[in-house]
Amino acid sequence: MAGTIQLAHVNTPPAQTWNYLRINDIAIEVPVPREQGAAFNRLPRIFDGIECGIGDEARDWIVASTPDARYIEVPARTTRVDPIVVDIAAERDTAADTGICVREGAEATIVIVAGAALPGEATTSALTRIIAERFSKVHIMEIIALSGSFRHLEGLGVDAAHGAHVDVRQYFLGGKTVAAGFAANLAGDDATVELSCRYLVGTGETLDINHIVRARGRNTREDMAVSGMLADGSTKTLRETIDLIHGAKGSQGNEAETVLIAGENIRNKTLPVILCDEDDVAGNHGATIGAISPEQLAYLQVRGLSEDEAVALFARSIFDDALIHAPEAISAAAVAQRAEAVLGIEASRDSLEALGTDFFGGV
Amino acid sequence: MARTHVQDINRSLYDFVMPEVDAERYADGLTPAIVRAISEKKHEPAWMLEMRLEALERYHTMQMPANWGPSTKGLDLNHISTYVAPNAKRTNSWDDVPADIKETFERLGIPEAERETLAGVGAQYDSEIVYHNMRESVADQGVIYTTIEDALADPELEPVVRKHFGTLIPMTEHKFSALHYAVWSGSSFVYVPAGVTLPFPLQSYFRLNAQGAGQFEHTLIIVEEGGNLHFIEGCSAPKYNVANLHAGAVEIFVGSGAHMRYSTIENWSKNMFNLNTKRATVGADAHMEWVSGSFGSHVSYLYPSTILAGDNSDCEFTGITFAGATQDLDTGCKVTMNGKNTNASVNTKSISKDGGINTFRSSVIIGPRAENARASVSCQSLMLDDMSRSDTIPAMDVRCAGASVGHEATIGRIADETVFYLMSRGCSEGEARTMVVNGFANPISKELPMEYAVEMNNLIKLEMEGAIG
Amino acid sequence: MAETLLRVAGLSAGVADKTILHNVDLEIARGEAHVLMGPNGAGKSTLGHVIMGDPAFEVMEGSILFDGADITEKSPTDRSLAGMFLSYQAPVEVPGLPLYTFLRTICQMRPELKTTARKFREEVGALADELDLDQGLIMRELNVGFSGGEKKKIEMLQLLLLKPQLAILDETDSGLDVDALSIVSKGIEAYRQRCDGSLLVITHNTRILERLEVDRTHIMVRGRLVADGPASLIGEIDAHGFEHYECELGDEA
Repeated sequence: MAGTIQLAHVNTPPAQTWNYLRINDIAIEVPVPREQGAAFNRLPRIFDGIECGIGDEARDWIVASTPDARYIEVPARTTRVDPIVVDIAAERDTAADTGICVREGAEATIVIVAGAALPGEATTSALTRIIAERFSKVHIMEIIALSGSFRHLEGLGVDAAHGAHVDVRQYFLGGKTVAAGFAANLAGDDATVELSCRYLVGTGETLDINHIVRARGRNTREDMAVSGMLADGSTKTLRETIDLIHGAKGSQGNEAETVLIAGENIRNKTLPVILCDEDDVAGNHGATIGAISPEQLAYLQVRGLSEDEAVALFARSIFDDALIHAPEAISAAAVAQRAEAVLGIEASRDSLEALGTDFFGGV
Repeated sequence: MARTHVQDINRSLYDFVMPEVDAERYADGLTPAIVRAISEKKHEPAWMLEMRLEALERYHTMQMPANWGPSTKGLDLNHISTYVAPNAKRTNSWDDVPADIKETFERLGIPEAERETLAGVGAQYDSEIVYHNMRESVADQGVIYTTIEDALADPELEPVVRKHFGTLIPMTEHKFSALHYAVWSGSSFVYVPAGVTLPFPLQSYFRLNAQGAGQFEHTLIIVEEGGNLHFIEGCSAPKYNVANLHAGAVEIFVGSGAHMRYSTIENWSKNMFNLNTKRATVGADAHMEWVSGSFGSHVSYLYPSTILAGDNSDCEFTGITFAGATQDLDTGCKVTMNGKNTNASVNTKSISKDGGINTFRSSVIIGPRAENARASVSCQSLMLDDMSRSDTIPAMDVRCAGASVGHEATIGRIADETVFYLMSRGCSEGEARTMVVNGFANPISKELPMEYAVEMNNLIKLEMEGAIG
Repeated sequence: MAETLLRVAGLSAGVADKTILHNVDLEIARGEAHVLMGPNGAGKSTLGHVIMGDPAFEVMEGSILFDGADITEKSPTDRSLAGMFLSYQAPVEVPGLPLYTFLRTICQMRPELKTTARKFREEVGALADELDLDQGLIMRELNVGFSGGEKKKIEMLQLLLLKPQLAILDETDSGLDVDALSIVSKGIEAYRQRCDGSLLVITHNTRILERLEVDRTHIMVRGRLVADGPASLIGEIDAHGFEHYECELGDEA
């Protein structure tokens, strides 16, 4: 295997805090990019300026590790029926650098899947940068469902123009070390981003998330909801930043986080930041970190679940939710495969039978 | 619609300068010679001088964080005098205090407050305490309220100081805590014996009169098992065109079952760099309360921190910060929860106007053994115009499965609906906005000692100009 | 008389520093429908929750027998698995938990209800139609953002899926409009027909009882069962309210 290098500052948020808390970034050991010759397929220059959450150092590494960047355009005023799929097969040590331009008034679904059925060791990565032109609609589904010693770097950036709507569903279902950045630049008035992020961090796994939404246009809306579960010996860091920039009058941002701690020796770090340079805006953040609430637990018990079964139900619900929203077969298969490893084959098959894409023929 | 104007804090009450008469002022800058001179003048034990010299070395090697915090540009220690002693002996009678200094504290209302509502008062003028007194009835119960300098000279108290001093806030904490330990001067030492409740608060007031000087007072408070103390700290300074520096340290040891409340109104002038450090460690079943009002200074780094070491201990932090023009106030708190069944409640408000910058910064750490620990953090920020800035940066680190943390933050401005509602009931727009701002600050101001609550209302004197256009 | 299914004997219960229920005796036979009425704050809901073993309440005295076994000390989980059901007045929201996953889990853990995922999915779909519930709700988060009527219907859906031997319906009628009320009433009827289960309906509104054949009516005032009688008692309450019972109890409570 080729040598490795360290990316020292991955997932750095716009506003940092005390360094001794070790919450400002994560350092990740990655392979030195393979020599691919000079004739790389590069993305159009316009994508260079799109922030993608993981930081310039990690972004440059993914670009250098990807021999062939892929550029996709969704023509104006069209609806692309088949999802654009970025398929990261971990067994092949894949890196992907994708640029997508969703033209004015167009609509597209983008799926980013990283799955590995077998235990193994590799570093995979996906960098996806998206331009959402005026009044476009972009639906993004990210599924990171790795096992074993797979490390994954995920950068996602969206530039949203006037009236563009972006919704993002993230499911982090496994991986030894997963660092995922997301940045949305709401440049145009009335641009909206809705982010739903769910995760299950298993024993010995580390999940590191950096969400950044920059509100520049007027009357933008940014909603970020993150919820997940931590098993024994897991580590999770979540940084969420809403940056209400001067001029973003009428904009509103919300961050909500729920963490279910279901094990010992866990490390749960959260840095929910609101930056505000404007008076006519509203920013809210709420977090609940701990066990299942007594009211919820009592309700579940009254319906016959023990406390352990209630916790197991929450784990299953993350996979079921991913299946319910998986828009095509590759992502559904990745979820089912990972569910099999985490929940067992019976539960996985049971969910797939009722919720798999073939039942609904897609949602 | 014309924007109504909320007036800046009226500072005339504090902004008066007394001439520096016969003061003993050491050279600007930081050298071992200055540190030795301070130590020598105080006739300190050798261990204290060693500590000072070690701290000075560390100060020179440590850096300010490059990746966060307000800029400290403009603060040049080569142009700050670290020691300015007034020509006055420490006394327990206001009559013996030199006239100009006495007048200063009278204008600040200290002797009056002492007569009416306090159990004891210490007054520091520049680098030294000039007045110290405590009611006899309190002294009779074994309460000690003196300076660390005097305590070090007392063979019975010296070991107590030595055991505690510098242990809670290490000199390695940050660059300015190193500086503090190198040049600290002026201080409060409070010892409350087990089971003793003080009927009235003790108050220390810190006045920095000298231009281009630093104030580095150290406060050491020990409340033994079951004791109960309310300590008030006030600070102010006149405005100069050159930077002044405040880098004090407050170390509080709260024994098991004890109750401690620490109230601060900080109203430094806008040329002040306020890099103060405060920390309390709290024993089992004990209670710690911080009430903090930050109105002044050019730049502040201020995060009172609490370590809930004992089981069933709890702490409350209540703070308000008002940042106006030219102010960059980075304030908040830190809580570390190590004991079982511990409880922390943080409640802060901030108001930003005229380009002022407010940053709420906090950390809540729940250790692996803190079963059933509960923390709640709530911070609300009010933006009064679109030139100002308000950032909220709360960090949480939970390492215990049986703990829970709730957190909420909101940033916004005065809602138009609210103003309209109040106007529909006959208020002018100005009155309506005043009501909303007062209502916003009220839950915090009512936690302040009475005289400070009144002072705060004076401080946030809201004057509305302009009308509906 | 039919075999006793639920027997509450000398039950006093409450929260740590306050007794809410005083010396309550109640018997419900297999297949019977009972109604528990009383003014607001009488402790009716508390009785429902205590029978079900809600850990928010503490039993100070007395016992609860279900199907011949003493369940006073049993967890709510065990009671549920034994065939008891409590519908909540205000069903709890569980963000992140798809309703489908919840339903599937609570059914699949009962051997008698085990079925294939596909069949189950169809059964839930059919019941949703019966209760006039939007199919889309099934994939949404449990009770999150549901209307009051939808929440109550979801409770009915669970009742019909779980087919318990005893169903305690806590104010299932409160806050419902006429249409929803009629659907919930139909749900209760369906439960009675399909499962021949026993029923304890807690209400202070007689409207929901119009479609129900009631075997026995109990009146609770200030934590005490002060009267019981046949279904005709409901008519009396309708006409005269609870005042008479409250006066009778005087100041002793």
